[in-house]
Amino acid sequence: MIEVINIDKYFGTNHVLKNLSASFQASKINMIIGKSGSGKTVLLKSIIGLHIPEKGEIFFDNREFISAKLNFKREIRKEIGMVFQGGALFTSLSVEENVMFPLNMFSNMSKAEKQNRVDFCLERVNIKDANKLFPSELSGGMQKRVAIARAIALNPKYLFCDEPNSGLDPQTAILIDQLIKEITTEYGITTIINTHDMNSVMEIGDNINFIFEGENIWQGNRVEIFNSDCKELNDFVFASELYKKIKHNI
Amino acid sequence: MLTALGKYLIFIINVFKRPVRFKIFLKRVGEEIEQIGIDSIGIVSIVSVFMGAVLTLQVAINFVSPLIPRYLIGLSARDTFILEFSSTMVCLILAGKVGSNIASEVGTMRITEQIDALEIMGLNSASYLILPKIVAALITFPILSLLSTILGILGGFLIALSTDVVTVYDYIHGLHYAFVPFYVTYSIIKICFFSVIITSISAFQGYYTFGGALEVGKSSTKAVVYSIIVVLLFNLILTKLLLT
Repeated sequence: MIEVINIDKYFGTNHVLKNLSASFQASKINMIIGKSGSGKTVLLKSIIGLHIPEKGEIFFDNREFISAKLNFKREIRKEIGMVFQGGALFTSLSVEENVMFPLNMFSNMSKAEKQNRVDFCLERVNIKDANKLFPSELSGGMQKRVAIARAIALNPKYLFCDEPNSGLDPQTAILIDQLIKEITTEYGITTIINTHDMNSVMEIGDNINFIFEGENIWQGNRVEIFNSDCKELNDFVFASELYKKIKHNI
Repeated sequence: MLTALGKYLIFIINVFKRPVRFKIFLKRVGEEIEQIGIDSIGIVSIVSVFMGAVLTLQVAINFVSPLIPRYLIGLSARDTFILEFSSTMVCLILAGKVGSNIASEVGTMRITEQIDALEIMGLNSASYLILPKIVAALITFPILSLLSTILGILGGFLIALSTDVVTVYDYIHGLHYAFVPFYVTYSIIKICFFSVIITSISAFQGYYTFGGALEVGKSSTKAVVYSIIVVLLFNLILTKLLLT
């Protein structure tokens, strides 16, 4: 379980996260949703330590992260897999080398074991015959899948995904969602997804946090979202005519 | 200014922390030697040969007094290359080629979140990315400097061979005349300093790039400009310390 307690984050005079608290359930898909500029990405990057909040605490299974020493932070980070918005694959490395990278860095596996693990991860994300290709030769959906393969290579306890569906067509987006869902369930990973894609939320979201102007103003599941009386949440979720009709029919 | 200096020092401390895996570090150094050193042989060679030839011609043309021995043309070519051209001027060329390359490479990695990905994996990204570049530059720049000296003198020799501004005998006699071995040491010391300056400043500019492609371009330009200024400053300081 990951807990965020009363964090504040400023960029200059811009108060981005305002005394924000949230809890993310173990072995579930936790969603962070909100409008662009609401502070979702800052929250995600604060949890994994890429931004340092001015105030507050973050616990990874009761281990405090913000004030931890750098070496301890790095130990926790080895338990984290991250899928970045753009994939963030290493452009100078092939698909296979990208997935093998964390294994080369942190595992004591033999070369054959590493190769087996790479093949397994790539097969798990349905990437075939692309081991020797470079990221620039892959489609957006394939890049995301390779990024997921790299993220799960070391069997992480926590998986973070920043807008995993951005730039993907609806069908590929659903495939990526399903893949994340399957991986989370199979390996008991605590997954946190940052998104504003309501289809994703409705498909796979177990625990949803709604961020509005730097505050976590609603937390619940995808059923409760339809019955919420939180105005800001309703404005966000039911912005489209389609979702308005769905809510009306419910 | 002081903030930037402090940030640079913290960056350098992170860069020089122990690499995660020594075997991988050595592999990375090998890759960087190719990119930083071997890929620069062409430009250094061309510039050195032509500059050696032009320098010899200019000195020969300007030595009009019959009281000045002609072998001083060879001596001036040798000392110019050892003392200044092969260390400082070659480094200024490398600041343009290697410095901009490092800044744009690291800057692109920053804006495409590849550096964040390294950090999230628990790696010291500064050490992983930059230390091999600095070590590779420390190994290759002195070799490039030596190559530049040899080719520069060869350029002058070709002028002696193909024109009548100086005889081959005078030129070679000048090369041997009043040779001070410490000048080579001085040149190597300088180039070692310059290699660290160029790679670290360029990497620093790239590492702290924020924004998009435009900012990567700006970082690359800043990397070259700042590297050149600091190289020139250190050239003065080291010359004062080592030669006076």
